[in-house]
Amino acid sequence: MARSTFVYVTYIRTTPERLWSALTDREFMKQYWFGMHCESEWTAGSPWKMVLPDGGITDSGEIAEAEPPRRLVIRWQHQMRPELKAEGPSLCTMELEPSDAAVKLSITHTMEREPSKLIAAVSGGWPQILSNLKSFLETGAVALKEVRK
Amino acid sequence: MSSSTFVYVAYISATPQELWSALTDTELMRRYWFGLRCESRWTAGSPWKIVCGDDQILDSGEIVDAVPPRSMLIRWQHQRIPELKAEGPSLCKLELERHAGAVKLSITHGMARERSKLIELASGSWPLVISNLKSLLETGSVVLQHLPNVRAHATLEKSHG
Repeated sequence: MARSTFVYVTYIRTTPERLWSALTDREFMKQYWFGMHCESEWTAGSPWKMVLPDGGITDSGEIAEAEPPRRLVIRWQHQMRPELKAEGPSLCTMELEPSDAAVKLSITHTMEREPSKLIAAVSGGWPQILSNLKSFLETGAVALKEVRK
Repeated sequence: MSSSTFVYVAYISATPQELWSALTDTELMRRYWFGLRCESRWTAGSPWKIVCGDDQILDSGEIVDAVPPRSMLIRWQHQRIPELKAEGPSLCKLELERHAGAVKLSITHGMARERSKLIELASGSWPLVISNLKSLLETGSVVLQHLPNVRAHATLEKSHG
């Protein structure tokens, strides 16, 4: 079956535990995710959603796998834009791997269709969010304060 | 025509001029590129090469186009591993764009053949190099001192004796 995939890898000077917190703690998240945050219990089977500063839900789904602080898989469906929602659920896998004094963070976001508007949208979003996350963990400040459309 | 392409985007707290300097300065490059350096005059038509610490040439080619501090296009052929060299030249485009106090760096590295081993190698290497470059510009030091996935390189080289 045709598939669309976005892959991003970045190396961050931090520990797997601290990076896991940054990826799952809502207050932490708001600082580098342009005011947005995710809500979940972060255990396999628990619901997951992404929430705007005004409380609107942009995406929702569930945690397919969670192995702190190494691996997180989210079944992820967009909710706001009808043409993206109609594509159905995507799968986002986050892998954290210690490397020297750093952590290799790999994000693989896939959708079982080709082309996928959701994967096209996240391909623009992930580099902004992960650049901000790396800067925030290494310097205490983000690189971008506003999201680029 | 079928092709292989690797795309990588990073946002870095710097000015386009600072980033351009970091991408073309031999000494700075050594610090974030694991001891390797590129040598070129960085003008359209000038030769370009990547050189190891022991002066061995890893890749070479030429600058196709250079518009400091906005864009650069490099014709890039691997030289050391015969199988990769045989793939011929790839094209690597670097684009720098100012955005909200930061610079968006976009790298598009492509080869006009499917399942290119050079592009596969580049896909593993660019995130290492750019993660180091971003850390160096933002914090004054790199995130990785040594190549962590030497295994990938070693495997490739071993299979070619």
